[in-house]
Amino acid sequence: MSRVGWIAWREFVATVATKGFILGILFTPILIGVMIVVMPILLDDTPPRVEGELLVLDSTGVVVDDIAAWLAPEEVARRAGELVDAIDEVLPDAIREIGDRATGGDMGEQALAAILAEVPDIQVVPLPLDADIEAEKERLLVGSSADGGRLAVAVIHSDAVARDSAGAEFGDYDLFVREKLDDRIEDELRGALRDAIIAGRVRSSGLDRAEIEALTNVRRVRSTTVTQGGEQETNEVINMLLPGAFMILLLMAVMTGGQQILLTTVEEKRSRVVEVLLSAVSPMQLMAGKILGQLCVGFVMLGVYGGMGFAALLSFALLGYVEVSLIFYLVIFYLIAYFTLGSAMAAIGSAVNEITEAQSLMMPVMMTMMIPWLLWLPITRDPNGIFAVVASFVPPINTFVMMLRMSSVTPPPFWQVWLSIAVGIAGAYAALWAAAKVFRVGLLMYGKPPNLPTLWRWIRQA
Amino acid sequence: MSDAIAVRQVTKAFGKNVAVRDLDLTVAAGSLCGFIGPNGAGKTTTIRMIMSIMLPDAGEISVLGCASALDAKDRIGYLPEERGIYKKMRVASFLKHIGRLKGVPDSLVNPRVERWLASVELGDVADKKCEELSKGMQQKIQFITCVLHEPDLLILDEPFSGLDPVNMRLLRDLILQEHDRGTTIIFSTHVMAQAEALCDRIVMIDEGRKVLDESVAEIRAKYDPRVVNLEPLDPEADVGTLSRISGVRAVEPDGGGWKLHLADRSDPSTVIRDIVSQVPPARIELHRPSLEDIFVQIVTGSAGADERGVATLRKGVSDRDATVDRVHS
Repeated sequence: MSRVGWIAWREFVATVATKGFILGILFTPILIGVMIVVMPILLDDTPPRVEGELLVLDSTGVVVDDIAAWLAPEEVARRAGELVDAIDEVLPDAIREIGDRATGGDMGEQALAAILAEVPDIQVVPLPLDADIEAEKERLLVGSSADGGRLAVAVIHSDAVARDSAGAEFGDYDLFVREKLDDRIEDELRGALRDAIIAGRVRSSGLDRAEIEALTNVRRVRSTTVTQGGEQETNEVINMLLPGAFMILLLMAVMTGGQQILLTTVEEKRSRVVEVLLSAVSPMQLMAGKILGQLCVGFVMLGVYGGMGFAALLSFALLGYVEVSLIFYLVIFYLIAYFTLGSAMAAIGSAVNEITEAQSLMMPVMMTMMIPWLLWLPITRDPNGIFAVVASFVPPINTFVMMLRMSSVTPPPFWQVWLSIAVGIAGAYAALWAAAKVFRVGLLMYGKPPNLPTLWRWIRQA
Repeated sequence: MSDAIAVRQVTKAFGKNVAVRDLDLTVAAGSLCGFIGPNGAGKTTTIRMIMSIMLPDAGEISVLGCASALDAKDRIGYLPEERGIYKKMRVASFLKHIGRLKGVPDSLVNPRVERWLASVELGDVADKKCEELSKGMQQKIQFITCVLHEPDLLILDEPFSGLDPVNMRLLRDLILQEHDRGTTIIFSTHVMAQAEALCDRIVMIDEGRKVLDESVAEIRAKYDPRVVNLEPLDPEADVGTLSRISGVRAVEPDGGGWKLHLADRSDPSTVIRDIVSQVPPARIELHRPSLEDIFVQIVTGSAGADERGVATLRKGVSDRDATVDRVHS
């Protein structure tokens, strides 16, 4: 094995064969799994279990019964069930099956049962037309939402259902709520008032609401994607997530290798072992070995996480959404992005004495690495817009942008892909060239860490 | 004898600070050369340039017949002033790694590592992590890294710093052993007594300039001893007559004895014979100036340099602890 090879091998082993790396590589998927399970629980949209009264002064005389019907616990539960069904419909079959297996039956029914036990129990109390609203509002100040009692007072305007005169606008309602009333309960009350008023307006117009709803309802149809491999049901979730997944995979692999180069270079410099190494190899060989070693670390990351992702797609029968050529381009773009970032990290590592001193020099690099996150959604929505096309030719972000575009539903033209690769290779070469100069000068520099102008001077002078 | 190292008119500056100035230096193959000077004299910078770790601003350097040490790395062993190890690596793994980088064939790496660990009495630490070793042990490990590939040229930058007397002696023996093998050795130190004891040639450097470059024998001949230390057998003996001996310039008390300053061009052997005939000695010796004395004499230009300047120089050459790098702007 060549000397560069030995340096790369040591770099690889010293990084991968550590508890920190092994735990880290296992911990991330575990964390993602936990988030998938825990986040829906933490972000539960179902209104909390609350008992209390909604006082309604119904100036129209036709709305209050519909409000009571809307807020009946069975109705709340039914609507929650519809929500579950809607979610259920969006979920891929494979994921739904997994959920059903995990819950021992139908996931939707179990969720509905759980919702029924937790829906709010709100009693609707009509107020007489001559009721003193100010006095009723005063009573909202007594007790708390958790104690039950009075939750809110609603005043329906007299023209909420029927116009006062032809051509006039409809009236609506005023709603007074107690302090710290849960937002989700307030949403339920608004929903009830809105629905009841609409029902009243429809009736007063002599129309049949069921008929109107039937006329205005068109079922949401899931499209079928026609591919060379056959037809398959379009999965919008996968279409949205897949480009991001590829970009994150690329970013993780690049960042892992890049950060390790920085850390090991600083450590070698700090422990002064660098001069021993430089007595055996040239700075260029040392840098090349380190970059190649961490390149392999990045490939391990790509292999582990990419492999897990593909295994998941395979088990959910979603592998058809991924084109095989994407894997080839993922490797190409990884190499380009890694050599660009790795060079920058090696240069920064060689220029500082301690990792804390690297912060200011790292800032521009980290800011650059943030750009792909910001571009994810805009480019996924418009993968062939002017912005996306221009960003595809601006190193070092072009690799991430092109990965987003290529894994989107409308991939870029072939010539753009290869032009982006050519631009990326040129960028990586320039980064390596500049980094080699900084590396050679910086490795034996101790004392005050250089700023960006000093680095630029090293590049010009070395 | 061919030259192992040839430095011609080399200059290196860091910003406005000129670390090495128009340096000419040759080290003959097979010699053991001491490279001495106070801290900040330019020794480490010169050595780094010889090793091609730094490039000179001007001048040429040839090492083992090559225009750059990069072309002869496998034939050079280098112990830098700033010792470095991979703390988390195991001792044997670290040595094997460096050995491979130095071009030791795979089949020879293991036996050589074992042999060298045994020779520095560290055979039992092969599987320990480097960070678990004491500083002295680490220093011996680092010495192994520079001899593992059996180099033709060994460059040691302050090899004895931080070692206890026992390990210092062990390392000195190992250096002499390498020299006996035919290796050319150049080692830098600011402790001149070490160079005096080990080397056959001395190069002195101060403020980036070479101020002395001669064999130890030539130095001793050149800096002819001009003082005789005398301790009379009879402490009450009359020494007044000594000042009248031909060739004695002055007599002054020195602790329990006397110091006799010889006149220029006087023959020390004749003077000593005359002293002995007049005052039987318990001890009499020709005082040899140490390298430190010679260095001070060279740099100050005369024996009568102002006291403050001499004190500063002495402090510089004997300051064992300072290991501060020159901060390059």
